[in-house]
Amino acid sequence: MGAPWLVLDRVSKVYGDGTSAVVAVREVSLQLSGGRFVLLMGPSGSGKTTLLLLMGCLLKPTRGRLFLFEHDVSALDERTLPLLRRRYIGFVFQTFNLFPALTAVENVELALNLKGINGSDARRRAAALLARVGLEGRLHFLPRDLSGGEKQRVALARALAGDPPIILADEPTGMLDSRTGRQIVELLADLARTEGRLVFMVTHDQRVRDLADEVLFMEDGSIIARKSADELREVVSHGEGK
Amino acid sequence: MVSLARKNLFHDRVRLAVALLGIQFAVVLMTLQIGFFLKFMTNASVLIDHIEADIWITAKNLKNFDFGLPFSEQKLYEARRVPGVLWAEKFLMGFSYWKMPDGGQETIQVIGFNPETRIGAPWDIVEGDLDQVKYFTQIFIDEADRERLGFPRIGDEVEIIGHKARIAGITRGAKSFVGSPFVFTSFKNALKLSFIPPGQTVYILVKVAPGYTVEEVKEHLARTLTGVDVYTKREFSWKSRRYWLLVTGAGIALLSTAVLGLLVGTVIVGQTIYASTMEHLKEFGTLKAIGASNADLYRIILTQALLMAVIGYATGMLLARAFLHLARRAGLEAYLPIEVLAGIFGLTLVMCVSASILSIYKVTKLDPALVFRS
Repeated sequence: MGAPWLVLDRVSKVYGDGTSAVVAVREVSLQLSGGRFVLLMGPSGSGKTTLLLLMGCLLKPTRGRLFLFEHDVSALDERTLPLLRRRYIGFVFQTFNLFPALTAVENVELALNLKGINGSDARRRAAALLARVGLEGRLHFLPRDLSGGEKQRVALARALAGDPPIILADEPTGMLDSRTGRQIVELLADLARTEGRLVFMVTHDQRVRDLADEVLFMEDGSIIARKSADELREVVSHGEGK
Repeated sequence: MVSLARKNLFHDRVRLAVALLGIQFAVVLMTLQIGFFLKFMTNASVLIDHIEADIWITAKNLKNFDFGLPFSEQKLYEARRVPGVLWAEKFLMGFSYWKMPDGGQETIQVIGFNPETRIGAPWDIVEGDLDQVKYFTQIFIDEADRERLGFPRIGDEVEIIGHKARIAGITRGAKSFVGSPFVFTSFKNALKLSFIPPGQTVYILVKVAPGYTVEEVKEHLARTLTGVDVYTKREFSWKSRRYWLLVTGAGIALLSTAVLGLLVGTVIVGQTIYASTMEHLKEFGTLKAIGASNADLYRIILTQALLMAVIGYATGMLLARAFLHLARRAGLEAYLPIEVLAGIFGLTLVMCVSASILSIYKVTKLDPALVFRS
């Protein structure tokens, strides 16, 4: 087994200072590798999004160290962090965050462009990614003409642009009905299992826990519990037995 | 690369229209005011710039070309003896009155030159033979002044301070700065048609002989001739322009309006780009999350600014052209050489780019958590 892809070593994030300081993430230590679909659950304000921002190199830890494929993120400057994001990470957001002026294929193509893939190659790859999420018939639709589920599929195709090993998803089912939401989560789980990616998803949706390889529970900035798929199945079956 | 800048710009057409309106306003205002200002400046020295003399000798302490004062023509003979003078000619400019067909009078500027050498003669003849001015009372007027002078035609007889004169030809581009029409004739005729006493001249024009520098001959003349001032062509041209520009403040007023146009345009464009950036802030955050660097974001904002500058300039120039056409019909001319048009384009670019600085600052300070908020 190789080195873990993402290592958090007693990572803390504090907003503000002095008496107004707020500890959003408190001494979190994690080691995550590919081929896993990991859920992060917890109440609002527990620090889930901040942890995701740290893992996505959008924030730097106040204390502790964070390694992404053995790069010490805490020590890197603002010019290097975008390079790491381009290479290793794809994001999926709750509100899709598609560019409204761009068609579905252009939204994906733009992400490829940022990763150095241009011209007809980018257009071909963007179309292939959209086909992969079942949107081959929606390439030239603007986001306003797509349903919520379709928008999230475009966002997923965009996250896969440049073939990043890690997908970070923030409540990707939050704006979707349960059936569509489940389809999206199944797609994410499939990316981990069949393609060996690390998919890390923040969610409130209890109904998708059965698809996860591991579930982390967060409260007040700390990881308070970790359950593997087996442990979760056990909890569920015990619950059903009662 | 997919042009998010272009697509975003054309996606929100109302905002684009507002921004373009601001740029067009600035471009039109700058173009008209700078054009009028340059024409104003050019007119202030139009004769000096077109006459081939290297040196101008004037009465002492003269303010500018249009306020020419007479001095003894004896100075002409003294000037001709100065080493380095190839030729020297007397040249007259005097105010006079033209009797209009309705019995009223129009102030004119009579220009008298030597018809043999044609030094100081009008440079663009539309109609007529310049040799005619050798004969008594033959005059040339400018086509731009025909309306002011009651639409006289070639061969018509007119009256200037009680003397009969005949229109022998029409010139082009010899429009007086002070608005009084130029009337070109021989020096001899000009003495009669103006209030300059015989034996006097208003200017002496000097050409420097090969082998001498203009500065050198100017020095010689200044040392030799008393009671007069000696200027190089460039100095006298600038002195005349400077008078109207700085002493009267008229040029400054035109320039101030051009600067105001630039400032107002910058504010409107800045406000529009900023509002657009704020509206797309989440998109910029998303771009950051998917791997865009700050430099990529700056490029998008600057591309938008530059696109707006190019479209705003092109459409603004079309509007300015329409306004200039109307102004020309009202007798107001502008001077806009290609260098000035290029300069206005440069200013438009600077305006749009500087207007986007606040947006760039905002994007630099962008909170990445923004993209995760619903």
